[in-house]
Amino acid sequence: MSGAANPVSPPDITIDCDPDKLAEFEQRIADGVLIEPGDWMPEAYRALMLRMAEHHANSEIIGALPEGEWITRAPSMLRKLALIAKVQDEVGHGQMLYRVSQELGKSRDDMLRDLITGKTKYHNCFNYPCPTWGDIAMIQWLIDGAAIMNQKTLADGAYGPYVRTMNRINMEEAFHFKSGEDMVLTLMGGTKGQQTMGQDAFDRWWPVALMFFGPADKPNAEQLPAMKWRMKTERNTSLRQRYVNRFAPAAMDMGLAIHVCEKDADGIVTSKKPDEAIGLNEETGNWNFTEPDWDEFWRVIRGSGPCNAHRVALRRFSYEQGAWVRRAIGTGAVATPPAA
Amino acid sequence: MTMQDMMKDPLANIVLMHADDKLMLGHMQSDWTGLAPILEEDIAASSMSQDDLSHALVLYDHLAARFDLTADAIAFERDAADYRCCDLITIPDEFDWAIALTKRWFVATLTALGVDRLATIDDEDLSTRCKRLIPEQAIHVRHLSEWMIRLGSGTEESRSRMQAAINTLESDAGMMFEPPDHSIDPVDSFCCGREGIFQEWKTSCEDTLQRAGLSANLALPPESMIGGRRGTHATHFTDQLAELTEVRRAEPAPAW
Ligand SMILES: [Fe+2]
Ligand SMILES: [Fe+2]
Repeated sequence: MSGAANPVSPPDITIDCDPDKLAEFEQRIADGVLIEPGDWMPEAYRALMLRMAEHHANSEIIGALPEGEWITRAPSMLRKLALIAKVQDEVGHGQMLYRVSQELGKSRDDMLRDLITGKTKYHNCFNYPCPTWGDIAMIQWLIDGAAIMNQKTLADGAYGPYVRTMNRINMEEAFHFKSGEDMVLTLMGGTKGQQTMGQDAFDRWWPVALMFFGPADKPNAEQLPAMKWRMKTERNTSLRQRYVNRFAPAAMDMGLAIHVCEKDADGIVTSKKPDEAIGLNEETGNWNFTEPDWDEFWRVIRGSGPCNAHRVALRRFSYEQGAWVRRAIGTGAVATPPAA
Repeated sequence: MTMQDMMKDPLANIVLMHADDKLMLGHMQSDWTGLAPILEEDIAASSMSQDDLSHALVLYDHLAARFDLTADAIAFERDAADYRCCDLITIPDEFDWAIALTKRWFVATLTALGVDRLATIDDEDLSTRCKRLIPEQAIHVRHLSEWMIRLGSGTEESRSRMQAAINTLESDAGMMFEPPDHSIDPVDSFCCGREGIFQEWKTSCEDTLQRAGLSANLALPPESMIGGRRGTHATHFTDQLAELTEVRRAEPAPAW
């Protein structure tokens, strides 16, 4: 999965550097030249790029956890093999993105420690639960599908190592998406119980997929560093609209109904009704839809989601359990840092 | 042809022994996905659990064709007593990398020898399949042996953790040498004498242990030792089997 652009706007940054160099740097970006690690870049660019790549890397290895928990229960040999390969890819994406981040000046160990102490974040969508096999199907279809859409725009960015990594990752994501689609088709074409499993999981993941792209950007987003420097190349709202245009009709074709749901604190749906807004707007060519609950989004991103504590605790457990191995082969840091 | 016919067939029991070992080994190892001590080894371990499960599948496919079954039915739908794996594999590792690694290394070393022998058997389909597994299995043994050596000769801490894991597992390693079925003459139980394969396994293990600066007491237990292969399984095996089949059992369906 996963990824990518931190949905929270970066803090206001000051660009304090040589104006001639900055003008030249911005001209190169405007000309479509890729920026490489050895090139001159504003400190703010380096910091933001690191923040973005590190957040993406964190998302990949945290994203491996919910799906990883279902490998041992996958219902056929081929699904089991495909799911291990899929989660392995995600860990590999994490590894590649940590390398990009390392080149921007932060050690891998510092990044892992910041992740387990809560100093850095990962994508919000992994703070939701996966109570059934249906959730695994929906993650691979809806969330990997969203990730591809997002990462394709990121592959259009300006930072060479990140762009090349996105291109590689996107090829693998296409497989994840295909296999997710196949899992959803199998459920929705299966027994009554399988269809219910699919619909219930869809109800849990549809709003999460809509939130995936993050809240609306500021009105002047194009003038702010992230877009001006081509760290991101499309507005969140525009990505979300393209996503709905593609996935709402696809879901309905598969026999899934789009609902507006209430959830409890554990992320489990407590009531639902059909999303009356859903439908093609003939004038604009866009699909209308009900916005997800943005209050919930902010609550979860601030740490009170159904699985935040669990995900970070598992990463921390893995970091602590493996420390002696890293020490033995000389890549490890020292003691485990205290939680933030 | 039915599952019962398969379970009565001596050669099928030998094939199942290795296939079920691989199924459970891949299953246990896959639980570490995303949680291994370093990302690079996480990725390597995922490849190995995929290999193990693919190897199991290659062998199940052979049996499926012979007994008119499906590989998934063989993998997921037998009674616990019909699984021929040894219970060394499903001993919980409590996410202790030393235990997980030592176990994988013990089993992979035996499987390499077993598959070598199966590849010489007078059954074209089976021997061709086994020949395909040999090079990958050799890579597993080499990779795991290198880790045994790296950690055995790493720090004092890693050496003592590895030695502790060996001490914990060495007597249970004998479970692997239980003949796979009551119907099989122990002399034929591994396509060769039990003694012979044990000695080869022991020599191979001791060679690596010596290079790792570690030691183990490896002895062939009496044939009466219960280790799972004849169908009497420990609860940690049945727990794992319940997890493996959980989704499939919850909703019987033509396809998943
Ligand atoms: Fe990914
Ligand atoms: Fe993915």
